Amino acid sequence: MSQSQTMTEAIKIRVENLFFSYRNRLILKDVNVNFAENAITALTGPSGVGKSTFLMTLNRLWENVSDADMSGAVEIKLQGRFRDVYAPAMPVTELRKMVAMVFQAPNPLPMSIHKNIAFPLKLAGERNRKLIEHKVEHALRMANLWDEVKDRLNDDARSLSGGQQQRLCIARALTLEPEVLLLDEPTSSLDQASMAAIEELLVGLKDRLTILLVSHYLEQVSRISDHIVTFDDSTVVS
Amino acid sequence: MKPRTLEIFSIVFAWIAGLILVSAVLVLLGYLFIKGYTSLNLSLIFGDTPPLRALLFRTRVFDGLFPAIAGTLVLVILSIVLAIPIGISTGIYLAEYAGSRIKRALDAFFDVLSGIPSIVIGLFGFSFAVFLHKQYSNRIGPCLLISSIALSLLVLPYIIRTTQAALEGIPSNIRMTALALGATRLQNVFLVLIPRSLSGIMSGIILAIGRCAEDTAVIMLTGAVASAGVPRSVFAQFEALPFYIYYISSQYSDPEELMRGYGASIILLLLCALLFAVAYGIRKGLSHFVFYRP
Repeated sequence: MSQSQTMTEAIKIRVENLFFSYRNRLILKDVNVNFAENAITALTGPSGVGKSTFLMTLNRLWENVSDADMSGAVEIKLQGRFRDVYAPAMPVTELRKMVAMVFQAPNPLPMSIHKNIAFPLKLAGERNRKLIEHKVEHALRMANLWDEVKDRLNDDARSLSGGQQQRLCIARALTLEPEVLLLDEPTSSLDQASMAAIEELLVGLKDRLTILLVSHYLEQVSRISDHIVTFDDSTVVS
Repeated sequence: MKPRTLEIFSIVFAWIAGLILVSAVLVLLGYLFIKGYTSLNLSLIFGDTPPLRALLFRTRVFDGLFPAIAGTLVLVILSIVLAIPIGISTGIYLAEYAGSRIKRALDAFFDVLSGIPSIVIGLFGFSFAVFLHKQYSNRIGPCLLISSIALSLLVLPYIIRTTQAALEGIPSNIRMTALALGATRLQNVFLVLIPRSLSGIMSGIILAIGRCAEDTAVIMLTGAVASAGVPRSVFAQFEALPFYIYYISSQYSDPEELMRGYGASIILLLLCALLFAVAYGIRKGLSHFVFYRP
């Protein structure tokens, strides 16, 4: 533990004076918080205090929600230096390739397993088939899913079990080798075994990237997280 | 009334309403068939001309429906081809890009457009043809192209509305999937949202096909005539099945001619069924192509 503590000293994400409102209702007020690099930080707190919204301010996904507004500063250390994610010089598509997100409910696209994993590469304009094959396999291995699906890559992704679908979504988020992975209650719709598989997978990933995990399960939080950030009354309390 | 009685009452009412509707359709189809089946034969379509020669456009058919069938088919395809790109793009714009104020204004505009009676659209097409005739060339007049433009205007609101509704109905978790993976808005629209909405968009197109095939008011003012032969170009006048049905039922000289009107109605229905089948086929093929292409 002490070793992981020293490893996780470096700061990856700095958030200052963050306010967020939706339809003129304040969801987040004056959030100031830092997140450590190469660690799993759990975001906990009662429902409806803006934890999921907070994740969306880090990859700017909220900008696709109408009637939402935000102020404050978010800086993430990307490619070795801190960058203001809201700066005009930061293209939002590039940001989201480096700050990936996994949602509460598994959301595979209605296509084959292979095409789901290769989808971010397609978005990025990658044409090299060999490279795509390699990256798809790599992502599926990172998500501990390769052995289960390697013989059925052309099956519809929706034919997988719920837990497998969620690991597929994690693999898909990992395809472009992001530096930060945001997860919004990724296990809340899954059974115990699937939950354990995902927890194990996340612990294995933290050497490569920084993980922020919104979770309601206190046991899950204490099992896998290195740091805990608690939200209450629209802001961070600890 | 007790809740239980109310429930039974609603169920019975719903069943009766459904039965009335289904039987109305069946009675209509049965009536058409009984009246028209005696005239249904090859000579109804090709008259005295040998069918093969007519199909290869070697010999003009004077005494059959072949030119009207060809005219309607070309008219529908041309109108839909004109309406699809404009309608779908407008629907995408309204659902994905328009700000709330522009959207409200355009919504009202398209509601008005969809409420315009077809005879007024026909009149517009006619005036348009007269304008072109006077301003540019006296060779331009009511013709297949003018009819298609007017018809596409008539069916645009269907395509716009169904495209918009299909896109807006996509749940936000699917909407966010590709965006969270670094997709641009345009990539999201074309790679995820449109493929997801194909069946909704297609139902609008099918509605539009039906409307184009049956509308008489527009085409009788913009270029449909009783005798023109198979359309030679988009600048020529043409024959069409609904116009033929209208013409024959108002001007028939003997019962046999009226029978041919019923026969033409059956053929029009079959033609619509064929076009619907093609549209369904395209829909299936398209979504498979978009999502499962290796």
